[in-house]
Amino acid sequence: MIVKTKDLTRTYRLGASIITAVNGVSLEIEGATFASIVGSSGSGKTTLLNLIGLNDQPTSGKILFKDRDTSLLTDRERRRIRLRSIGFVFQNFNLLPTLTAQENVELPLALAKTPPKLQTEKAINLLEAVGLNERLKHRPKELSSGEMQRVAVARALANDPSLILADEPTGELDSETGHEVMELLLDLCREHKTTIVVATHDEGVAKAADVKYSIRDGLIKRETG
Amino acid sequence: MCLRNLLRRRLRTSLCILGVSVATVFIVAVGATTTSYVTTIRGMNMFFTGDLVVVAEGAMVVQAFPVMGGNLPVSVVERINHFEGVKRVVPMLVRFGYHVEAVIQLAPSNVSIGMPPGNWSVLVGHTPLHTGGNWPSADSDKKEVVVGPSLAKQYDFAVGSEVTIEGTNLTIVGILDSRSALLSRSIVLPLELARALYYPDPMVSWIGNMAVVELEEGETETEVAREIEADVLGVEALTTEERNEIVEPLLQDIETWNLGLSSVLYLLSMILVTMVAMMNVSERRRDFATLDAIGAPKGSIFRIVITETMLIGLLGALGGIVLGSLAAILIASVYTNVPLSMFLFDLFSIVSPLFMVQILASTVFVSCIAGVMPAVAASKRNIQEVLRAEY
Repeated sequence: MIVKTKDLTRTYRLGASIITAVNGVSLEIEGATFASIVGSSGSGKTTLLNLIGLNDQPTSGKILFKDRDTSLLTDRERRRIRLRSIGFVFQNFNLLPTLTAQENVELPLALAKTPPKLQTEKAINLLEAVGLNERLKHRPKELSSGEMQRVAVARALANDPSLILADEPTGELDSETGHEVMELLLDLCREHKTTIVVATHDEGVAKAADVKYSIRDGLIKRETG
Repeated sequence: MCLRNLLRRRLRTSLCILGVSVATVFIVAVGATTTSYVTTIRGMNMFFTGDLVVVAEGAMVVQAFPVMGGNLPVSVVERINHFEGVKRVVPMLVRFGYHVEAVIQLAPSNVSIGMPPGNWSVLVGHTPLHTGGNWPSADSDKKEVVVGPSLAKQYDFAVGSEVTIEGTNLTIVGILDSRSALLSRSIVLPLELARALYYPDPMVSWIGNMAVVELEEGETETEVAREIEADVLGVEALTTEERNEIVEPLLQDIETWNLGLSSVLYLLSMILVTMVAMMNVSERRRDFATLDAIGAPKGSIFRIVITETMLIGLLGALGGIVLGSLAAILIASVYTNVPLSMFLFDLFSIVSPLFMVQILASTVFVSCIAGVMPAVAASKRNIQEVLRAEY
């Protein structure tokens, strides 16, 4: 079991009112599976991914990452897990604009203190795998949206994580490019036996998942079939 | 990476570096000028330590030398010579500022010092002459002088050259080998010759404008000074301590003002760097949130911001030190009327390498401090809120 949540709840204070973004969510995600979380905008998908990705703390409930209770982890341990065991793919790519494609992929490796030679080797291999071997020295602004998301996918895979969290990875892409990026992401995850959780409102993406959840007003439901 | 981050906002970064540079220029120029001035004045007090300096009452004395007003009659010197406890009285005629080849020199850049031949060591101590030189002859008709090395360099004087003072041609017979600011700009000549130049009227009975009184062993400066002032009307006998007391408060004020000015400029630089860094951090919140999300240690985000402000400080300081040093030697050149080219080759005597390193280190340190608040803001940003805001 990679991730298990128990009665996970996250509330926010917005002025005088309290918003419940995630409401008693319990789910289990096995290793090497592709899970999708489908929901409309504001349904709580991103909040749930942030909780699973240890970017946020739940108001109540528990998250177990590889059977470890994450509520007992220190900030440093949470960061370490994010760096070494979880890869993130964002809707807006979130590449660092001053770094080249290669440097963006090298970044998590550098933060994990991988030897410089190995960083370069691995970054080039990953960028070749996503079809960007001609774009190594290009900065994000010199890349198309599809290329930027490919760099983001390569960056997410840099430290060989056991879990990839992708939040609307095709949201900023046209349907054809989005399809290509998803295919690439799934292929690479299968190849590396990585678990992938995709939050999306695209039914097409969701259909390809091994496990499908739908979320609405913070409440989650596992879809069958 | 940090440099590239700064280059993302070229104009803003350039203006910030320029701001730090301008502040540093002032710190270096004012600091170096006041430091060399204070050092020169303090250096002047190295002369005659343990001796009394007698001047006419009301004369303006800077450390050991009268810079304005008051002459001593021959009779006064003769009288002091007979005081108990007095070993030797050496009268001197000191003039700040004189004409060399029609160029008007400003005090205290140039000094002519007349003193009785054979008593040179009272003024110059163990200072030797450059090879081939001699001390001026006691015969004042020969019109011989020795000059300081800075003057010799500026006017290309050598042994045998001539210098004109008060319309009289004098022969240079020696060049002092001294690093003293005063001696290096001095013309030392026999007292009789100095009197002939400055008191040409034969009716004048002045012997000079100061006298150095050497005391017998065991005598205290204070006691002999008190006796001289009590018995000889119209003179002041200044002890080493009194001479210090005259200018030390002024020098301390100068140093305090210098420190105050530097502090204000450092503070302004710090505010400027903080503001620019806060703007940068605010604009790059998504970058920092991304770094946070992919697991960058909290310290690394802090370090990125501090490194960026440090780079601003470093570049600003380097620019400021170069321009400030040029400004300092320009000020020194204008103030002393010594050509700029002479200072260019002797830059480190005006702005010492240690001073440059101190300014560089201080500016970089201040810039790092300026980066603390933005760095804390960047590393404490709520990653979850920031990332969500971007969706």
